[in-house]
Amino acid sequence: MTKEEFLELLAETMDTEEELDEKTSLDEIDEYDSIAVLSLMSMYDEMRVKVTPNDFKDLKTVADLIGLAGDNIE
Amino acid sequence: MAKIHFKDIKISAIATTTGDKKVTIEEEADNFGYDEKMVKRLKKRMGFNSRYIVSDKICTSDLSIQSTEVIFEKFDKDDVEALIFVTQTPDYKAPSTAIIMADRLGLGTDIVAYDINLGCSGFINGLLNAYSLLNSGLKKVLLCVGDVASNFAYYKDKNLTPLMGDAGSAILIEKKEGFNADFVLHSDGGGYKHLMISDGGCRNPFSKESLKEKEFEDGIRRGVDMYMNGGEIFNFTIKVVPKMFDELFKYAKVSKEDIDYFVLHQANKYILQNIAKKLEIGEDKLPMNTMTIYGNQNSASIPGTINGFLYDKFRDRKKVLFAGFGIGLSWGACIVDFEDVYLPKSQTYKAKDEK
Repeated sequence: MTKEEFLELLAETMDTEEELDEKTSLDEIDEYDSIAVLSLMSMYDEMRVKVTPNDFKDLKTVADLIGLAGDNIE
Repeated sequence: MAKIHFKDIKISAIATTTGDKKVTIEEEADNFGYDEKMVKRLKKRMGFNSRYIVSDKICTSDLSIQSTEVIFEKFDKDDVEALIFVTQTPDYKAPSTAIIMADRLGLGTDIVAYDINLGCSGFINGLLNAYSLLNSGLKKVLLCVGDVASNFAYYKDKNLTPLMGDAGSAILIEKKEGFNADFVLHSDGGGYKHLMISDGGCRNPFSKESLKEKEFEDGIRRGVDMYMNGGEIFNFTIKVVPKMFDELFKYAKVSKEDIDYFVLHQANKYILQNIAKKLEIGEDKLPMNTMTIYGNQNSASIPGTINGFLYDKFRDRKKVLFAGFGIGLSWGACIVDFEDVYLPKSQTYKAKDEK
């Protein structure tokens, strides 16, 4: 999928109305919490990307979430 | 891997009793520090809504005894030769609560009775024990399962407590020709820290420190309370459960299409939605609303789902898959032939008149 499509999917998965771009800091997203992490884990799982809760610990920005998706993003 | 086949053993009755008090997430939001927006999200995403819990000092044994009495209205208790009680909330630290329950139920002294300490996978492991005893020659076994999670879920723990419900079930199992079952079971102690009560055993004996509130990112709790790392448990579940299904299908020589109902431990709706999606099973075959109404009933959640939502579905013969997964870590599943099972609707606990 394209980066734009992935950003839309991220916003939907986290239930946020924020406009997301690569530079958006995860701290700025109110909804980025343990529920969002669960939802993101199942989103990555569907994309066949292996993630563990630890993978989310040091993430800072939306770019890091894009990074986790690896080759899935064009 | 532990795989076991049994023949000529039948589940004859299942009954479930839930806690007597219904509480909603809205009523409890303040305890957990959840605002209105968060409550809405939890309802939508995780399926939080209400849960049934017990009033003070009601034990799991009380709930399971009420369930058993419902069964004994229809079945003769004289041939019951074993009582197995699966719980993490026994009446006392010692002895095994099953022994006291056998006495309260008037089952006499010619009976084997013991407890098993398991949670989410407890129904499957309990069934395995019951089937094994019947396979060894006993005629009738009473299996009781459940927990009063209120006992270990601290009211300020916003991570675990809103999930938890109290329930105690009873299951009567006996020899009967033509009823088969296949089990697979797993354990992985490498993950024990993800879901545990740390204090009160020999490793960390109960002390003043055990009752001190500590604040964590996911809520406030004490050493005597259950801790859950939700992310790790979620990750574990979506990894092992689909794999276990494949193992069981292969071992039992059945396909997914042969199974009429998939009754899974009702951890929460979100986990079950994920499993159902992965396995491509529709919600009509894989019920997932038990936690939303009653709360996560631990080892009673599989019987709780049957008595709560499927009590009228088993007039003719069905193949049913049960699966439990969680604390331990421990997970197991079985496929059983299900026919003409006495399944009263779930009832809430009613205190007996005290004199």
